Amino acid sequence: MGLRKLLRIARWEVATATGTVDRRTVAVLIVALLAAGAGAPAITSGAGQLDAGLYTVAVDDDHPYHDAIEERSSLRIVGDADDADLVVTDDVVRVADTTTGDAAQTELRDAIRSFNNRHLRAEDDQAAAFPVLVDLVFVEQSGGAAVGGDGGGGDGVGGDGASDGGSGDGGGSAGTDGTAGDGSGDGTAGDGTTSDGGTGDGGTDAGTGDDGGSGGDTELPVPDIGFGGGGAQSGTPGAISAPFPFSSLLLAFVFVLPMNFVIQAYGSTIMDERRNRRGELLLVAPVTRTDVVGGKTLPYLGAITAITVGIAALIGGGPLSVLAVLPIGLLFLGLTFLGAMFARSYKELTFLTVSISVLVTTFVFVPAIFTDVTPIALISPLTLVVMDLDGGSVGLGEIAFAIGPSLLASGVLFGLGTGIYREEDMFTQLPVHRKALDALAAWIHRRRHIAVMTAVFIPFVFVLELLSVAILFALPLAVSLPAIMLLVAVIEEVAKSIHVYAAFEHDRFDRGMPIAIGLGLASGTGFFLAEKVTHAVQLVGLDQLEIAQAAFTPGTDVAPTIAIALFLAPLVLHCVTAAISAVGASRNGREYGVALAVAVLVHAAYNLGVIALAT
Amino acid sequence: MPRDPRLTIARRELAALKSEKTIVLALLIQLFVAGFSSFLVVGLVSMYDPSSVEGGSVDVAITGEGGEDVTRALDSVDGIQPVSFADADGAESRFRDGQYDALLTVTESEDGRLRIRAAVADSGVQSTLVVVRIRDGLEALERDRRAAFDDRLEFEPITLPEESSGSPYVGFTYTVLVPLLCFLPVFISGSIAVDSISEELERGTFELLRAAPVSIVDILDGKLLAAASLAPAQVALWLGLLHVNGIPIDNVPAVLGLVAAITAAIVGLGITIALLAPDRRQAQLVYSVGVLSAFVVASRLPEHPANTVAKLSVGNPTGQTWTLLAGYLVAGALALVVVRLLVGRLSVEHLGGDR
Repeated sequence: MGLRKLLRIARWEVATATGTVDRRTVAVLIVALLAAGAGAPAITSGAGQLDAGLYTVAVDDDHPYHDAIEERSSLRIVGDADDADLVVTDDVVRVADTTTGDAAQTELRDAIRSFNNRHLRAEDDQAAAFPVLVDLVFVEQSGGAAVGGDGGGGDGVGGDGASDGGSGDGGGSAGTDGTAGDGSGDGTAGDGTTSDGGTGDGGTDAGTGDDGGSGGDTELPVPDIGFGGGGAQSGTPGAISAPFPFSSLLLAFVFVLPMNFVIQAYGSTIMDERRNRRGELLLVAPVTRTDVVGGKTLPYLGAITAITVGIAALIGGGPLSVLAVLPIGLLFLGLTFLGAMFARSYKELTFLTVSISVLVTTFVFVPAIFTDVTPIALISPLTLVVMDLDGGSVGLGEIAFAIGPSLLASGVLFGLGTGIYREEDMFTQLPVHRKALDALAAWIHRRRHIAVMTAVFIPFVFVLELLSVAILFALPLAVSLPAIMLLVAVIEEVAKSIHVYAAFEHDRFDRGMPIAIGLGLASGTGFFLAEKVTHAVQLVGLDQLEIAQAAFTPGTDVAPTIAIALFLAPLVLHCVTAAISAVGASRNGREYGVALAVAVLVHAAYNLGVIALAT
Repeated sequence: MPRDPRLTIARRELAALKSEKTIVLALLIQLFVAGFSSFLVVGLVSMYDPSSVEGGSVDVAITGEGGEDVTRALDSVDGIQPVSFADADGAESRFRDGQYDALLTVTESEDGRLRIRAAVADSGVQSTLVVVRIRDGLEALERDRRAAFDDRLEFEPITLPEESSGSPYVGFTYTVLVPLLCFLPVFISGSIAVDSISEELERGTFELLRAAPVSIVDILDGKLLAAASLAPAQVALWLGLLHVNGIPIDNVPAVLGLVAAITAAIVGLGITIALLAPDRRQAQLVYSVGVLSAFVVASRLPEHPANTVAKLSVGNPTGQTWTLLAGYLVAGALALVVVRLLVGRLSVEHLGGDR
């Protein structure tokens, strides 16, 4: 790979991309953007526009509510009381017995409240108008093992180990103060492998006083991914609110929006290479695949960088915002590259691009909503942007945690795509999933490649598992915990076996039982080692294995042999399940599916068993 | 009797989508969006609305002068257990130990105003619950004290109506979810139309079709028909699903009519752009920027189309809503006519592939 060659291809890509844009296109684009600019004020000014006039209210002109209702854009006054959602008479508000009626009632209450506040603000005697002022601060409570209190059974299970903090929090809201004290606090906060802190007191606070200790002594120098509180607020009682960084989120979205346009163009240019064998010229040129892919990608990465810097300057984000948005851009580009390598037609590419947009947007957006609530939010780089815009301080560890997985994942995506950037794959038409198998098999030639590839999948596993935690943690623990356990099992089993299946389909190995088992062992070992490395670099303890460790690791009086056995138990699990699915994969697609399902069940059963043991 | 060639072409278009399984992908995307939105709703509501979260009450320690008033006010609110402490240090240390979810320190100024420092345990989701409960309690306190000061105020606050027992996210469903589910398929349909045309142009297959006994207008009619029928069909499916989920949608035919009209216009726009643009890249760029800006510009209308959908589906359309709906129907029909005229005037060479 030569830098000069790469740059030459990049220059050529810029030239062709800009060269073909004719003046008419530019003119049309400018007109469209100007029109949008002219229309934009209406959108931003009318914040409640979407619900304008949505609910009907029948109210007399001289009723005290009348003015308040009239000022509210979502409420519409109608004369006919029969059809109205709300009918306001002297003392009563009659609510239509519909879902709309309920929504209208909520709106009405809100309308009256803001009407009152507006008038009260005009009073001379503000002390009487607003007789209560609140300063809200968030305070870390100390490890609560001392009092622990009533951590009634329910939250015990929470013992965040499973999913660190995520589900633990669920427990928190279900239980009472005992959990409030620590559960989520340390579970995710920092201790990575020591996530036991969480489990410790979640699960055992009923009695054993030493669990705090067990949390303590395994402590490693970890980046503190905790939050120093959601930010202080002051004001009247009505003005304080649960932390929800709404405006920053919207602004953060501005960063993501333009990427959708960039990947459109990027997908087209990659796809263009593949149609009518145009890319053959580059393939026979004295450049490597990496040069070609890098050169074609560089201009688009540059465009994303330029746009990001521009937006940051516009809305007041700092270098941190730019740093956080770039991995998102790379993820967009990596997925689009792979999508364009797989797609059979423009139509298919469009669907893939839309899916990519939706997926990545969800991935960056959902966790960021919880920025002020839980450290899980940090799996999304966008959270850094929100924090940056909110003016919070961010540590190096947090940055690494937020952008690391995305960077690694996009690296893997480009690697997979580059692997099939060759004649036999570019110019043939195959369904997307066949192409995906090609992409996987392209890198597999020996048994150890299986282990390496499993290890390489870890960032995806990591991101997907955390995303499912982030999505599910708002649900009640009784639902979310089993769901997370099952999802984790599915994600991990697929990651351990899909490339084994691909390798068998491409006849990389003989289809025999011993070979399949060998591959399964390789895959399971690769997964185990990579996971341990991940934990060693102290990202976060994610796997349910942590529960086992949490419950039994040093600190509690367990014989060393048992401790070692428990340490190795996950290795056995991963090897067994990977071997099951590998044997299935060595037969055919259907048997692979069945074997995978069995492996998932075994895995999930193991998870649940460990949780049962831990509590 | 020979079948209408337009129908044949439309069927072929749909068959191509089916064979690529992309339509499945499209439905999956939308399912994902819908699931994601409802997750957001449920998740956010459970986080930010205490009534939807079951479970124990919030324990609050209260100290300081005027603390008794606060305790009394909070006591009247469900889900809060206030405990008054005379000893500020004791309360503080107990709060630090995690016995209480929040510590309120009250000071009263000379003008009768209470200043309350509310320290809330920083513990993830639990703290949002605590904040919301405390807020409710303190709002009750604010009302009480304000009423006591009414001789000092000119404006007499209106009494609030009762709180609704219903789910607080109904509004969101109708103002965001339903319009989203209605317009996403429209956007995708237009995008398919763009791709379908650019594909033929870039592969030069229009030239082959010239030899077939169908006119160019027929071909494009077929493509238009295929793309434009997709969105209303999907929307109908969505509305049915919502209905099954207990979200009643009013005026279904009107909503479908609106979607069909807008799809016709958008698909027409897409086809026009694809025919005029030099390649797929620019066609898609112009198309998506164009549709986005149309969506923004639409906010200059008396009712945004999303608002029109919301009003129709909630069952509260106004005269204006119906007028606009009629307008959309006319505009959609007009778009079809314009596209056909335009296609008819295109020279065969333009579609020949030497571009």
